[in-house]
Amino acid sequence: MKIKSLMTMALAMMAFVVSMSSCGSDDDEPVVAVADQVVGSYTGTEVLTVMGEADESTETFEFTKGSDVSVDVNLPKYGEGMMTVPALPVKGIVLTKSGNTITGKLDKYEGTVKTADGTEKAYTVSDVTVIFSDKTVVVKFTQKYGNMPFAFEGQFTGTRK
Amino acid sequence: MVTAYLTNRILQSLLAGVALAMPAIPLSAQSFRDSVELEPVVVTASHSPKALKDAPVVTRLITLHDIKITDATNIQDMLTQEIPGLEFGFAMSQETSLNMSGFGGNAVLFLVDGERMAGETMDNVDYNRMNLDNVGRIEIVKGASSALYGSNAVGGVINIISRENLEPWTANVNTRYNFFGHEWRNGASFSFNTKKWNSQTSFQHTKIDPVDLPKPYSSEEIAIELLKKAQGLPYDESVLNDDSNLSRLYGQKSYNVKERLTWRATDNLTLIGRGGYFFRTSERDTYDYHFNGYSAGLKGRYAWDFARYLELSYAYDQYDKANFQPDGTRTHDHDYSNRQQVAHALYHHSFGKNSLILGADYMHDYLSTYQFADNTSHAQDNIDGYAQFDWNITERLNIVGSVRYDYFSASAQKAFTERLAVVYKFPWMTFRANYASGFRAPTLKEMYMHFDMGNMGYMLRGNPDLKPEKSHNFNIAIERTNRIRNSGFLDGRYNFTIMGYCNIFDKRITTIDGGTYEGMESALYWNEDGITVWGMDFSMGHIWDCGFSLKVNYSWMKETGKVYYSDFYQPRSHSMTWRVGYDHHFSRHYALDAALSGRYQGKPQSGRKDVDQGYTIWKLMLQHHVWHGLTVITAIDNLFNYKPKSYYYCSPLTTGTSFSVGLSVDLDKM
Repeated sequence: MKIKSLMTMALAMMAFVVSMSSCGSDDDEPVVAVADQVVGSYTGTEVLTVMGEADESTETFEFTKGSDVSVDVNLPKYGEGMMTVPALPVKGIVLTKSGNTITGKLDKYEGTVKTADGTEKAYTVSDVTVIFSDKTVVVKFTQKYGNMPFAFEGQFTGTRK
Repeated sequence: MVTAYLTNRILQSLLAGVALAMPAIPLSAQSFRDSVELEPVVVTASHSPKALKDAPVVTRLITLHDIKITDATNIQDMLTQEIPGLEFGFAMSQETSLNMSGFGGNAVLFLVDGERMAGETMDNVDYNRMNLDNVGRIEIVKGASSALYGSNAVGGVINIISRENLEPWTANVNTRYNFFGHEWRNGASFSFNTKKWNSQTSFQHTKIDPVDLPKPYSSEEIAIELLKKAQGLPYDESVLNDDSNLSRLYGQKSYNVKERLTWRATDNLTLIGRGGYFFRTSERDTYDYHFNGYSAGLKGRYAWDFARYLELSYAYDQYDKANFQPDGTRTHDHDYSNRQQVAHALYHHSFGKNSLILGADYMHDYLSTYQFADNTSHAQDNIDGYAQFDWNITERLNIVGSVRYDYFSASAQKAFTERLAVVYKFPWMTFRANYASGFRAPTLKEMYMHFDMGNMGYMLRGNPDLKPEKSHNFNIAIERTNRIRNSGFLDGRYNFTIMGYCNIFDKRITTIDGGTYEGMESALYWNEDGITVWGMDFSMGHIWDCGFSLKVNYSWMKETGKVYYSDFYQPRSHSMTWRVGYDHHFSRHYALDAALSGRYQGKPQSGRKDVDQGYTIWKLMLQHHVWHGLTVITAIDNLFNYKPKSYYYCSPLTTGTSFSVGLSVDLDKM
């Protein structure tokens, strides 16, 4: 009886170990950081509004990994000739995941950038909201460049290549 | 009825008795009442002192009481609250623009004690220089006045007259805090008066923090609607369209000090010296603007007798602008300096009830600015001569005629302007009819500008061949002032004025497409076809003996012709200001001066739907006179919490109801 009980317990333990092992095989799949799920190039429409005047163009936003939970993005170059605003890096957009949607937020990023003639210009990008859903991304941001007395209000809608 | 009447009379007698027994806690409304009873004197309409009721042209007077009860910091605050048909807005770079009854800011001439000011922000002088700490009254003459004041007096003249205290000495310190922008205003003034000397000194400091204007929607709300749109789901398009022109009001600080010294050397000779310094910083995100103003003047007046006097004066005014980086380094890429030197001569001769004025001026105008090619400078001289004859034909009929000739050296332009004003006093009302011409000479900036706008590849080009702007103003007005007695509650003094006008404005200087210039798109200063502005102004006031007062001002205007609508202001056909006041001594140690005021701006005449479609803003002011010389001032601005949906250049700069509290101490009365 005692042996039977021991055998039963041993089988039960084996079954437990096997079952735990099978569970473990799922958990052992590599965990994809939230940032890794969204990095990439997104192409679509950017609308920049300056003091109520909107300008629309087709642009590509390149999201790169900052950390497991944050991404950086290059806001694309705007304008031509002497009116050019160079591409502006924005770093440290903090990501949170909810269901199939990943939302990025950044209150303010201050940086400097060199223009084509080598002049260094300060810029600020604030009120950044990014939402990734499937292969779509939308971005809302406010950017202020150099001595321009006005801010650009930016919107971008793109899809991942 | 009789009982009610008697009760009222007894009550009034009791109140009068109480008032007599009261300590001398001054009510500023009392000075208002006095000024009405004593018939105030104005100078702007005729270049010489004249009772308001006798002025040849309708003159809107802002009294010392108005200035105190509105608690305005500078002329912009004051005019916004008092004058309908006048609206300040912002331009790019948050420089202030002005529109008065269809005329842009550069068609309105601002004077301080009759003197021009140098410099400009957007389209006129820096309004912050005109603080109200030492101002006694403000006179506004709408319509052209170039026959007396020369260039820029096309749409109106606003003359700020300094106060001259006649007490042996006065001293005041005051402070006020406004929760909007955490604004501080601190001031001090001192005056003394002897038989020979009179001195007025004032100092004011203001500081306001940046104010982030609320956006209609958060970035997250916008992003969510963007995502819905991208996914083909129903979404709200209005959330995605942001028409706001402004998102942040820059913080600023200012210092303003003024001195005015009068020496009555003899019974015949009076000399007046004055000086002032102004400093303001506008604190931007990446750099600061610094503004400096320097002014000085000397005036001598020799009076042979009551009939004849001669005035000679010299005035200097300088206004500088420069940009500084946060570390204090001057960038030198936005240097600007405007210096004006003016010499005046004026001779006044009375012949009985009639009088003659002969005058001549010389002005040297120098401008150095980054907006000229190679940061160079330009200058021009203006010489003028004028004459005015004030002919009192009968006790009832008065005719005033003025002519003036101006010459400008840089453009070799001449201007001949004239005015004819007729006043006829019926027993029950006064009738006025007036024709006046006005002009504005092209400025040095408009003639010589060569400016790549913010290095953005867009050139603004001056035009040395510009002609002066011209205007012809016709107006007629009726006015009645009277006292009501023995009518119970209505007892008091009232007045009303109705004025209709037509302004024909031609050769306006504006910018047109200048084609490609040096490989860039450009705009060129140009004389454009004119417009005609039709309008009607109505004002009324009633001051009850029981302590209440009411003022209502309404303005209607309509522009026809080649009308351009600037983004920076939106002329409105209907506008109105009003104020209900009450002053009363409640006890030996407490008196109240209260005012509930408001302003209404109607729909833009342009028909634009994307800007404010009219708004009303109310303000409640309470001045508590709690002890000898001690006054506590409280105010609730935007009483009913009006909030613009979006902030346009012409939106009222409010984020909702705001509160302010202040303290004023008259040391000489303690």
